[in-house]
Amino acid sequence: MGKKTAKQIAIYGKGGIGKSTTTSNISAALVEAGYKVMQFGCDPKADSTNTLRGGEYIPSVLDLLRENARVDAHDAVFQGFKGVYCVEAGGPQPGVGCAGRGIITAVELLKQQNIFEELDLDYVIYDVLGDVVCGGFAVPVREGIAEHVFTISSADFMAIYAANNLFRGIKTYSSKGGALLGGVIANSINSDFHRHIVDDFVERTQTQVVEYIPRSLTVTQAELQGKTTIEAAPNSEQAAIYRRLANKIADHTESKVPSPLDAKELREWSSSWADQLIEIERKTQYVAVDA
Amino acid sequence: MSIVDTEDKVSPVTETTSKKTNSIEQVRYGCAIGAMQSVAAIPRAIPITHCGPGCSDKQFMNLAFYNGFQGGGYGGGAVAPSTNASEREVVFGGAQRLSDLIESGLEILEADLFVVLTGCIPDLVGDDVGSVVTPFQKQGVPIAFAETGGFKGNNFTGHELVTRAIIDQYVGDYVGPKTKGLVNVWSLLPYHNTFWRGDLTEIKRTLEGAGFKVNILFGPESEGVSEWKAIPQAEFNIVLGPWLGLATARHLEQKYGQRFLHVPVLPIGAHETTSFLRTVADFAGLKTKSSRKKLESFIQDEETRYYKYLEDFTDFYAEYWWGLPAKFAVIGDSAYNLALTKFLVNQLGLIPGRQIITDNPPDEFRDEIRSYYRAIAEDVSTEVEFEEDSYAIHQILRQTDFGHKPPVIFGTTWERDLAKELKGAIVEVGFPTSYEVVLSRSYIGYRGALTLLEKIYTTTVSASA
Repeated sequence: MGKKTAKQIAIYGKGGIGKSTTTSNISAALVEAGYKVMQFGCDPKADSTNTLRGGEYIPSVLDLLRENARVDAHDAVFQGFKGVYCVEAGGPQPGVGCAGRGIITAVELLKQQNIFEELDLDYVIYDVLGDVVCGGFAVPVREGIAEHVFTISSADFMAIYAANNLFRGIKTYSSKGGALLGGVIANSINSDFHRHIVDDFVERTQTQVVEYIPRSLTVTQAELQGKTTIEAAPNSEQAAIYRRLANKIADHTESKVPSPLDAKELREWSSSWADQLIEIERKTQYVAVDA
Repeated sequence: MSIVDTEDKVSPVTETTSKKTNSIEQVRYGCAIGAMQSVAAIPRAIPITHCGPGCSDKQFMNLAFYNGFQGGGYGGGAVAPSTNASEREVVFGGAQRLSDLIESGLEILEADLFVVLTGCIPDLVGDDVGSVVTPFQKQGVPIAFAETGGFKGNNFTGHELVTRAIIDQYVGDYVGPKTKGLVNVWSLLPYHNTFWRGDLTEIKRTLEGAGFKVNILFGPESEGVSEWKAIPQAEFNIVLGPWLGLATARHLEQKYGQRFLHVPVLPIGAHETTSFLRTVADFAGLKTKSSRKKLESFIQDEETRYYKYLEDFTDFYAEYWWGLPAKFAVIGDSAYNLALTKFLVNQLGLIPGRQIITDNPPDEFRDEIRSYYRAIAEDVSTEVEFEEDSYAIHQILRQTDFGHKPPVIFGTTWERDLAKELKGAIVEVGFPTSYEVVLSRSYIGYRGALTLLEKIYTTTVSASA
């Protein structure tokens, strides 16, 4: 029997959108379900896996490379909640060097030393910093790394811009054997209006929403304990949502090339929604005055 | 009306060859960081390169070795320290490594001036080289820096960047009197132009002969950093060449309020050199009887010697006409290209077959350069082309009608095979000149012109042996 190949998934999203929170909960849910999972943080802040390890920071691949000319990749792999493997790519100090190249270097180091095969992983989940600003941040999308890309976005326009940029990156690499788009994980969706914005965006870009995740205090409480929601509040409604999302991602097999909006389309699209938003606010104000 | 209008006789270049290709075969210049050799051209100055391994070695080998086998100089070539930046410097930045290198360099190298030149890696990842070099400057270390990443342009661009960096960071501000008769000369690109050492020597010699004091700035006749420090004291700047140095002169005009004289044609032969010296004298406003007398007696002395040799040469030139080429092509940097074309047309009566400029001059200078060729002599007008890709250049030459006699090609080593194919003669006059050993030889001025004549006709006459 041939050795199994790990299913590699990349999760992108604008900074502060809840990317690491969601990714860590997906990893936790998968490892809880009995899979062998590695979460690979691709962010110079190197805090993607904190909640999988009780809030503890781990030395990043680039921390090790900074200290030593040769690095044993095993030294960069740490275990967390229920044995989940945690790796942080890390990066240079802010404002110095090239963080994009840092991600390439870190991913290559683990690949060269066959860590994924050796650990016999079922899933490798890359948690990648926000926007696809340069080639380094597109590494997980490129050939031979992830097969499926998901993006986390709220109904906030800036988050949607970042998602649209990612779609452009995916489209660029799609003809060169790169990863395709699995869909959008809609985060912080607490109203129908938010839902409509994200739904409209995915329809226009010809993709889908994988799951709607509401904003929840349970998540905040868990994070403050340095834990994922799956670990801190396993029986909560929010944990159930994360498990459902993890299952969908686990079962997901067919990704597609998205149709990103161009700059003009994006501008027109967002201003049309902004008009509606102003209209709603105005109505709410009238109600307030009437009352 | 033109007696010779070469436009009629030059066959048109076909669409396919004049179309830009997306590649360059057989390069004709280096990267911006090749200007490390401009630093090396200043006596007792040492370049420090902050770049990937191989960058500076490649520049040195190309510009200073396989180009007349000039050698690296006191501080260039293999002497120049380099950070040899690797992946670590890409990811984490290379500022610390550069700082360490400068510090250790200062311990073991003795120089009057250091100049840090950056390559693509630090410029792309955004190393703040200024913040590394400034503390050394504050300690009184004679050091400057220039960002010369390859994407900035070629080594001509790099040369201007380095020159400006030294002026702004090392020479600095100046308020004080100007020295009457002192001039700064901005001319050939050191090392890239294979004959720069001899040529700058001849320029200095003739200007001094005419009564000026000269900051030649680069090469064996320069006094090194003391000349650079004296730049602001000069009465004016001379830009000798079609375009290189103009940016520097304009900067100096603003910085020190210095006028500048632009003489596009590098003088070859008595006619041009005399006219050059008189132009400089007029610009300087030399009016006193004694100063004019010194100038004219120098000119007379030089011309007497020059024409004596030329008279001797005419026996050969008149008798041997049947075996000598009538048409020529020049493929090379704009400075030499224009100067040679002018000399060959005006002094030897040769017919310009094709002129191709290969140093990629900035667009804003091109129309003016074209106009010089259109008025190359009172009765001769010719067209010049700009091309850097040797494949395209050779295609153009193959399609040129040189008449019934094989041409003489003034070019580079890249034209050697082509010259054989055309059964012509080749005189290597530009980068790369890989089949000549060049030390003090000059092809310009009064003396250089005679050497050039010897070279041209030794080449053509020996071809029949």
